[in-house]
Amino acid sequence: MTEYFIRRLLLAVPTFFISTLIVFGIVQGAPGGPLEQQLQQLKNQTAEQGGGNSIGQTEIPPSEVAKLERYYHFHEPFFVRYLIWLGLWQRNELDFSVTIGEARKIGGGKRAVVEQPSPGQFRVLDANDRTKELDGWEVEMMEIEGEAPQPRLVKKAYAGILTFYFGESFQYNEPVGDLIADRFPVSFQFGLIGFILAYTVCIYMGILKALNHGGAFDFGTSVIVFVGYSIPGWALGAVMLVLFGGGSFLDIFPLGNFQSENYLELSFFDKFLDRAYHFILPTIAYTIAQFATLTMLTKNSLLENLSKDYVRTAFAKGLREKRVVWVHALRNSLIPIASRIGGVIGLFVASSYLIELVFNIDGLGKLSFQAILARDYNIVFAFAVISVILLILGQMLSDLALSFVNPRIRFK
Amino acid sequence: MKESKTQKPDTSAAKTNSKNAGAKPVSVMQRRWRKFKSIKRGYYSFWIMIVMYALSFLLPVLVNNKALMVHYEGETYFPALRDLIGLSSYYSGEQFGQTSAVQGNEANYRDLRDQFEAEDSGNWVVMPLYPFGPIENLSIEENQVFAAPFESKNDSRPRLLGTDDVGRDVFSRMAYGFNVSISFALIVAIVAYLIGVPFGALSGYFGGWIDILLQRVVEIWLALPFLFLIIIVVALLGPSFTLLVSLLAAFGWLSVSILMRAEFYREKSMDYVAAAVSIGVPTHKILLKHILPNALVPIITYFPFAIVAGITQLVSLDFLGFGLPPPAPSWGQMVGVGLKYITTGYWWLVLAPLTAMFMTLLLTVFIGEGVREAYDPKTFSRLR
Repeated sequence: MTEYFIRRLLLAVPTFFISTLIVFGIVQGAPGGPLEQQLQQLKNQTAEQGGGNSIGQTEIPPSEVAKLERYYHFHEPFFVRYLIWLGLWQRNELDFSVTIGEARKIGGGKRAVVEQPSPGQFRVLDANDRTKELDGWEVEMMEIEGEAPQPRLVKKAYAGILTFYFGESFQYNEPVGDLIADRFPVSFQFGLIGFILAYTVCIYMGILKALNHGGAFDFGTSVIVFVGYSIPGWALGAVMLVLFGGGSFLDIFPLGNFQSENYLELSFFDKFLDRAYHFILPTIAYTIAQFATLTMLTKNSLLENLSKDYVRTAFAKGLREKRVVWVHALRNSLIPIASRIGGVIGLFVASSYLIELVFNIDGLGKLSFQAILARDYNIVFAFAVISVILLILGQMLSDLALSFVNPRIRFK
Repeated sequence: MKESKTQKPDTSAAKTNSKNAGAKPVSVMQRRWRKFKSIKRGYYSFWIMIVMYALSFLLPVLVNNKALMVHYEGETYFPALRDLIGLSSYYSGEQFGQTSAVQGNEANYRDLRDQFEAEDSGNWVVMPLYPFGPIENLSIEENQVFAAPFESKNDSRPRLLGTDDVGRDVFSRMAYGFNVSISFALIVAIVAYLIGVPFGALSGYFGGWIDILLQRVVEIWLALPFLFLIIIVVALLGPSFTLLVSLLAAFGWLSVSILMRAEFYREKSMDYVAAAVSIGVPTHKILLKHILPNALVPIITYFPFAIVAGITQLVSLDFLGFGLPPPAPSWGQMVGVGLKYITTGYWWLVLAPLTAMFMTLLLTVFIGEGVREAYDPKTFSRLR
């Protein structure tokens, strides 16, 4: 068992690398990527400033292009770029233009000077004390199309996804890690509550439906199940907003948002009520996605088990029905449900942005969706990586849950 | 516990056989079809969907702003019919002597009908049942933005379900959206099956390194946040029908291949396969003629649910603005507009397309349940 999970964990490593490589490749390789965006912006700027020739075609100076390429590490080959992004290859943390022999500020109140004792050889010295060499600084030649290469003073460091360095957001000018940490609790609360509700309500309802197979309760709840099958959570959310949000019909619930504007002024109890008030509709939307499948799965699986021989034996021994259903049959019926538990981890991020957009909740989903619209690549990357990790973890959690409810399953 | 109520789990196959003893033998498929027919909810849903989908191809002559027939100075024109068969249906207003026509603009057939009636000079226009098109917008003068259902302001004709933010008719878009949604989901499902079936089959039958490799591919693919990736790619490349189909199929084939793999894996150890191998049947024949027909059950029962998934994904992507390129009539796009103006109460923009989607998905789910039951040899029996 332990062996199996260790092997699973090891297999997850290549899965992680290849999945992230695909994500990275798509975003970086597709036309209209970050570099092209910036170049286009630069072109527009120079055009506005009245530069360019008569046809309106503006040329960006090659040195600017080269600088931008360096900023995105596009001067490196694709795989190096991928490794830099992961944090397995050194990135240029600081990158200054420098003139040989001239002092230059390098931050932290320090000044550096670059000397060239022989061609192709550089020494980086403290400008105040020219005998002392500065550690960690290197000089690289920047290739410029059609011009002589220029020296750049760079400081390298390992910084990437694996060292929890996600870069900065262009939109918010804040580290992406902070942005995500801010919004994660919001998405997590909805995900967790939806998950708990779905599993408790659905399993219980599935059991009742199975015991009442063909009866009035079974028929009545089937209506809810079919609604759940036929309408995605966000769409149901939209319908509920129209019906109960006050725009057209009833004015019972708030039109989205996570809390009231005066939330901070409220007393503790009122705060709780306010949260709950804002929670109801989105939570229904979150839950409904799982609702139909889970209920039907529980019902069918329990029905199947109830027609098995061991249940007959249990009845023949004279056990009470309650014990047979809740102890004997139920445990075996939960096996297929346990195998789905892992999918829920992904739910925390993967399907939430539709609901967050509908209800205007400032969670992870909305953040990442707006990042795509604004081409805020660092957020997009961070979100994609988090999703990949969660999905892989979810697959493993499913296996774990499966072996927990069914000791007969021996993973090899 | 009452023993008298105890039932033996009935084996429906044996039962049906004994019932038909002496009569013409019934094939498995016929038996399934009969069982499907007996499940009324699924059976009727199936026919409703077939008829609705077939009818939706006639939409250009049922719901259109172009006339079915125009009789002008002894000649008859059929603009809507030309729409139906995909020919250019453009006629300028001047061609029919439309008085209100702007130079070079397309004829406004609704006005033209009124004009001909007023003139009473032997010219006439026959409009389709519902005379509003899905993409005519404010550029036609009488169209209003956000007209409520059945509301008629400034002399404009009332619309069944109102109009949207650029004056397009909601009912018309909803109707055309049905055809678009189903066609889209069908194409995606078929492409996904065309990829998933051979992959799963090869992987299950041959096992070994092919299987290991394919399982890795599936695992990696499953670890990708697919809706998110699709949005990124569409945002970068710009929306188009082909791109959307290929992207959704690129993720849709996974579940098909998983189902197929399991089936082929199980079937290959059966005696009939061993028999076929031992008398030297070539591998491709074993795969296609011997195993495949036996392995189709799970993917047939999965098909309606693949359609449900396809429609849901299209509506979601359209809602986010990364679906079919405008002005394609799409349900998701209408919901998006409706939610943007939610405080102002344009409820029909949200409720109309979502009701259409709900009904479509509900019917499809009913069909799916019916098919699944028809293919399921198990009948549950309760002891006690």
